[in-house]
Order: sequence, then structure tokens, then C-alpha cells
Amino acid sequence: MSDPLVSIRNLGLRYGTFRALEDVSADFSRGTCIVICGPSGSGKSSLLRCINRLEEFQDGDVVFDGASLRACRDLPRLRSEIGMVFQHFELYPHLSVLDNVTLAPRIAKGKPRQEAEETARRLLDRVGIGDQAGKFPGELSGGQQQRAAIARALALEPKLMLFDEPTSALDPEMIAEVLRVMRDLARNGMTMLVVTHEMAFAREVADEIVFMDKGRIVERAETARFFSAPTAPRAREFLDRILHRL
Amino acid sequence: MGFDWAVIHDNLPFLMRGLWNSVQLAAITVVLSFPLGCIVALGRISRRRWLRYPATMLVHALRSNPLILIVFWFFFLVPILTGRPVGDFASVLAAFVVFFSAYFAEIVRSGIQSVRRGQLEAALSTGLTYAQAMRFIVLPQALRSMTPSLATECVIVFQGTTIAYVVGMREFLHTTFLVTERTMRPVELYLFAALVYFVVCLAGSIFARRLEGKAGIPR
Repeated sequence: MSDPLVSIRNLGLRYGTFRALEDVSADFSRGTCIVICGPSGSGKSSLLRCINRLEEFQDGDVVFDGASLRACRDLPRLRSEIGMVFQHFELYPHLSVLDNVTLAPRIAKGKPRQEAEETARRLLDRVGIGDQAGKFPGELSGGQQQRAAIARALALEPKLMLFDEPTSALDPEMIAEVLRVMRDLARNGMTMLVVTHEMAFAREVADEIVFMDKGRIVERAETARFFSAPTAPRAREFLDRILHRL
Repeated sequence: MGFDWAVIHDNLPFLMRGLWNSVQLAAITVVLSFPLGCIVALGRISRRRWLRYPATMLVHALRSNPLILIVFWFFFLVPILTGRPVGDFASVLAAFVVFFSAYFAEIVRSGIQSVRRGQLEAALSTGLTYAQAMRFIVLPQALRSMTPSLATECVIVFQGTTIAYVVGMREFLHTTFLVTERTMRPVELYLFAALVYFVVCLAGSIFARRLEGKAGIPR
């Protein structure tokens, strides 16, 4: 694995005395889609949030595209290269969908409004909600909101997309439309780290699965191998439970 | 004894000059202390201790003192410190701005904290700086949730202008009192004063309600 886009090195994160992440190391190459799964509280979201330093980790480092996050002096610029999609969408309720998407390109990157709006409309079309551009987030369904949030993240032309349980807050019938957009992104070569419980999505789209438990990566395997023969007992147990819950 | 409403009519220009002083004092106080309050509020919620501690102390110190004491303090101490008289309006205005900035700071702080943390994180994750995220995402939403409290505080500021009386500033209550002394018609004049305060405050709250309606966001 030469020249990984993200390289996590002995990462440690504590909240007070609770160790959310302990000695986590992993490399992720460009153009791959990695699904991170594991029981709740296992540190999946914390790991994602360390990668754009929404969490301030105490130990180790994350190297993104050759640059150390610990040494980073220009976080906004770094973050503008990493798109993030949240469980609860976090669209800005006081701005239209179009303004949600154009805000960061205009404010953070200084793009002229017209150019930003052209890009935004193209992205909204791509996620299938081009006709909703003038509406406010509150007027959209959950699935549409999450797709708008994906468009907002894509507007900065990120090198990496982080998805933090993007479908966990959605009704079942809306999950599919969001996953379709994500699948489309992965097929177009976007580097993606996805925290999700959607095992069908993982099996179909992910190149590799990372399984976490108690703040550590306990298994990492190619998707097919992970589902057919997980080596870590904890991963096997988790898979059994999540796949046979019906 | 009948009412003699002519005293109001006869002294109206003098009374209105007092009212104008009160309105000016209140308006300038709000215009200056609100932004100051925003800055103090940002200090109050800062992660940096050297910002948070002084801001917190300032707010507590000001809020635990009566306005009248702050007014005296500025009126008697500022000339000593600066070595020259500053005039009653200026000293009262300074006292008001400092005093009410503490109250505005608390309103702004609770407004900011009513905005979900995820909003700030979403803004930061798209490459906005903390200041930009505050300016474009958090504060506009906070402002909406704090409009009612802000309107109430503006009314309190206006009513508070009567305290300027104690250092001899010719605000509305003071001019009313002066006319009362001269005409011996306290009932009419104080009724009139009550009516004026009522009308100004009512106008203020109607204006605030309209602002609130305009700021209403579909959720």
C-alpha cells in the first residue's frame, strides 16, 4: 500500500479517564471505500472525527495526504479537503438548500457566487434533488436532507469523504436513496470512510471492512473475507447478531 | 379637585425634550452594549481560560450590582480617573453600556448554547474558521431564539433610563418631576408619564414581535 491518503498512527483519544481510542493504527489508500463497523461505543465515530480534528486526540497522529494533523496550522484548509456527512444531517436551517451548498465554497474558498451556484446545482442534480434547491431544509424529507448534506460536502471537491452513520436517523424507505448516492460516489473513485450498520451496503460497496471494539481495531479484512470468515471472535459474534437479527 | 390636563399641553416641548433624551440614551445603550455583549458572550463560552475567566468575572460582577451604583461609580469616579468632567449624559451612557452589556452577554450566551453543537461542527468541517462559523451559522440561529429576551431587555433598558435622574440628567422622569414641582399637578403629570412609558414599551414589543415573525424559519 504505497502513499496512503490517510495514515493513522498509534492514535489515542481520551474523554477524561475514558479511553475512546487506544493505539489505533491504519492506512487507507486513495480510491477505496472502507466501512467501519462495530458495537456502539467502540470508537467508530471518534475515529472519523479525529481525521478532520473535530476531536482533539492526545496521542499519536493522523497523516492526511502527506501532512500531519498534529502539526497542522491551517485546520480550515485541511478540513475543506475532507467532506463530512453527519448522522443528523446538520444542514443549516436558516439557509436555503442552495445556500447550504454554496456557503463554504464562497466563504472559505472565496469562489464567486455564480460559479459556486453552478457547481451546487450540478451536485444537487447528481444527488437527485435539483428541484429542491430553493427550499429550506425543514421542507425536505430526511432522505432528501441527507442527500443535500452530501452535496454540501462534495461542493468543496474533497479528497476524502467521511460518513458518520449517515442512514441511522432515516426511515427505512429513505435509506435506499442515500445509499444509492453513496454507492455512486464509491464507483466514481471517491475515497470514503463510512461508519454504518448497513451490512448489505458494506458487502456490496466496501473494498474493506474495519471492525472496532472498545476503542481498538480488532479486525480488518477484504469485504468478502470479512463476511465469510471473520477471524476475531468479537467480530464473528457481532456479525452473527447483526446478520441474523431477523 | 378636577384634572387640569392643560399642564401637559403647556409643558409638552420641555417634557418631550426629556423623552428624547431618554430615548437617545436607551437607543445608544442598546446599539453599543449588544455588540459588546456578543463579544463578552463569546469570551464566556471560549475554551481559552484567559478569555473565559475575565469574561465570566465581569458578567458576575456587573450583574450582582444595582444599576444605580454603576451610574454613581461612573459619575464620581471617571472624572477622577480621567482628570476632567465628562458630563452627565456621557457618564450615564458609559455606565449603561457597561452594565447592560453584561445582561446582553448572558442572553447571547444562552442563545448560542441553544444552537446544536452539530451545527458548529458541520460548519467547521466544511473549512470555515471558528469566527466564520459563528458569524454565518451559529449567531443567525442564536439571534432568532433570543429575539424575545432581547426585546424584553430593550424595554428594561428604556425603563432603566429613569435612573439617570439621580445624577441630574434631564431624562423624561426628571423633566416630569421638574414640571410637577413648578405646577403642583403631580397626578396629571405622573399619569401622563406612565402612559408614555407604556406606549413606548408597547411599540417596542410590537416591533419585536414583527421582527420575530420575519425571522421565523421553517423547521
